[in-house]
Amino acid sequence: MSIKEFLRQLSQAHGVSGYEHAVRDLVSERFRPYADEIAVTPMGSVIALQRGTRADKTPAPQVLVEAHMDEIGLMVTDIDHGFIRFTHVGGVDARVLVAQEVVVQGKETLRGIIGARPPHVLTAAERDQVIPMSDLWIDVGLSETRVRDLVQPGDLVTLARQVTALKNDLVAGKAFDDRCGVVCVAETLALLATMRHPWDVYAVANAQEEVGSRGAITSTFQINPAVAIALDATYADQPNMSEINVVPLNQGMGIATGPNIHPLIHEKLTEIAKAHEIPYRVTAYTGTTSTDAWAMQVVREGIPTGLIDIPVRYMHTSVETLSLTDLERVSRLLALFCAALDDQFLKQLRGEPVAEQPAQASEKPKAKNVTRKAARKRK
Amino acid sequence: MATAKKTAHFPIFDKDAPPSPRAQPAKELAKKLTEAYGPSGHEQAVRELLREEIKGAVDELRVDALGNLIARKKGAGPTPRKKIMLAAHMDEIGVIVTHVDEKGFLRFAPIGGVRPLTLTGQRCRFANGVIGVFGIEKKDASNTEIKMERLFIDVGATSASDTPVGVGDAASFWRDYVDLGDRIVAKALDDRIGCVVLVETLKQLKKSPHDVFFVFTVQEEVGLRGAGTSAFGVQPDLALAVDVTDTGDTPESNTLAVALGKGPAIKVKDSGMLAHPAVKNLLVQAAEDAKIPYQREVIVGITTDAAAMQTTREGVLTGVVSIPTRYMHTPSEMADFADAQNAVKLLTTLLSKPIKLD
Repeated sequence: MSIKEFLRQLSQAHGVSGYEHAVRDLVSERFRPYADEIAVTPMGSVIALQRGTRADKTPAPQVLVEAHMDEIGLMVTDIDHGFIRFTHVGGVDARVLVAQEVVVQGKETLRGIIGARPPHVLTAAERDQVIPMSDLWIDVGLSETRVRDLVQPGDLVTLARQVTALKNDLVAGKAFDDRCGVVCVAETLALLATMRHPWDVYAVANAQEEVGSRGAITSTFQINPAVAIALDATYADQPNMSEINVVPLNQGMGIATGPNIHPLIHEKLTEIAKAHEIPYRVTAYTGTTSTDAWAMQVVREGIPTGLIDIPVRYMHTSVETLSLTDLERVSRLLALFCAALDDQFLKQLRGEPVAEQPAQASEKPKAKNVTRKAARKRK
Repeated sequence: MATAKKTAHFPIFDKDAPPSPRAQPAKELAKKLTEAYGPSGHEQAVRELLREEIKGAVDELRVDALGNLIARKKGAGPTPRKKIMLAAHMDEIGVIVTHVDEKGFLRFAPIGGVRPLTLTGQRCRFANGVIGVFGIEKKDASNTEIKMERLFIDVGATSASDTPVGVGDAASFWRDYVDLGDRIVAKALDDRIGCVVLVETLKQLKKSPHDVFFVFTVQEEVGLRGAGTSAFGVQPDLALAVDVTDTGDTPESNTLAVALGKGPAIKVKDSGMLAHPAVKNLLVQAAEDAKIPYQREVIVGITTDAAAMQTTREGVLTGVVSIPTRYMHTPSEMADFADAQNAVKLLTTLLSKPIKLD
């Protein structure tokens, strides 16, 4: 399946935090051909294991690559004279809700719209204000009795939005944050199936990132990997945005650095990007990266963590925009990174002395040759 | 499995029915527990009351390193049995003394979510029984905004040297329990009413196919700290918190479809957690089957022990049964006792039967 088609399927599926099942089914199906094992965690994250290709049968260290599959959305709080009142799940921006078409997941699936008072009746002060979410409502066109029959507090609401292809390999749609990362994780797993990689690779699509990385905390505990890499959306170039820490569309990705990121992982990612001429920028974070990487880093005794930032314009709107070419580049870099992980890197991470071992030294370039060839073949 | 077809019989909810024979002892327990002293980190007195109450009725009883009281009631079913954890927190909000001035007035900091608006004119009680009243600097006595740092506690001392409490001493609100008939008023109903629900469930649950852990947690009000550690120790397959929730049934209230007397609320979402859909459905189904009234709860601004239990270890299937409560985090919290009794019915119904978790 092409990157574009899988992204379209994921984007148009409904999967608000805590209710990711429809997305999870699509992801599991996509992971399955490349996985030795697949499991779903109690929090609803899906984990696919692709075993390492080790000649000596020693236990393989584990690398976890993850993105989150949940999306922000709305939840019904009350029925008010036949109109549906709602709150948000995750960071929904009230400014972009008015006049949206929505899908209400009641006893039946209902199409609805988010209404607003006409500008003619607003006071001058009201016209300049953002309408708070508590003053918005959803209209499904039904009478109060029918709405009460079909819709209850706790029912979910998502935005109705089809993916639109723009020029220059750009696409726009909802929930690209972070289904674009999930697409890259799946693509990485597919690439790795054609490559030699000594480490076990755990591909994870996590639940509940938008409400506090709850899927990542728990699935990382379960796997307890030696290295964890998060993929998540970051700001791309757009008018009236600061240029600081912004990655322009179609120019690759951000390779994050800062206290959330293990320096050796940052170094290895950038080295591989350079060696394979994959474009990137360094994104710098002074504290939290506001991604699953922040949560994963302090699981159990601590996990060395890396982060790849995928540029997305108009984040947390229903017209998030990205470049498909960037997604291919991210997947390629991540696959090459996973394949390049070896015993020596593990020793470096653990601060153990790295002795020159002839056996390893001779194996290393061989592995690299294979990975390069595989990558070239795909191109 | 044959046991799956057995259904326990429970009386159908009827508002006009005579009060259940258990209502009175349960209310007496509510009075004892709510009047006890137990701000976060100082739950000993509450824990001892609970230990006395349940020690004859459980198979195992222990206190963990943080002070959580963990009682296990062994299941009757074939092994391996599911481990189900019920949690209610013993601690309550309070204050802690930060400074004593030369005249013996105490400055303080909050323990948990204390709002200054609820303090002036109220009384507090320290561990040693000393009673204090909350006063306000007269220059700041406006009715619009009251700042915590302009408040003080007066324990009747005349100087620093005869002050019977000092820096680091904690106090809780001091208020009597009042029985208004259907409804009860007390301090610390958050979450002693949850503790009552757990004790009653423990006593009324005759036979369960599951190992049920009744956990009375510490330090919920300061960050769900006891629930996280006790769940790590218990490693449950399913965890349910029993805690209070806010209502939308008072004058000019926020939009919130929860009211007193309409049954326990089954949580869908709060600010700290999304109940697992399967657990929420399990509770809804149990309530529907036994014709127990219930409400669905979607609330902003609060959370419970469930949030901590859910993300313990590799994650735990988690839900919440809430007791609707007005005037939360004030010295006069109000709940409808029938909601608590129905929560007991809901939990005993659920725990009496095998549970399918996927």
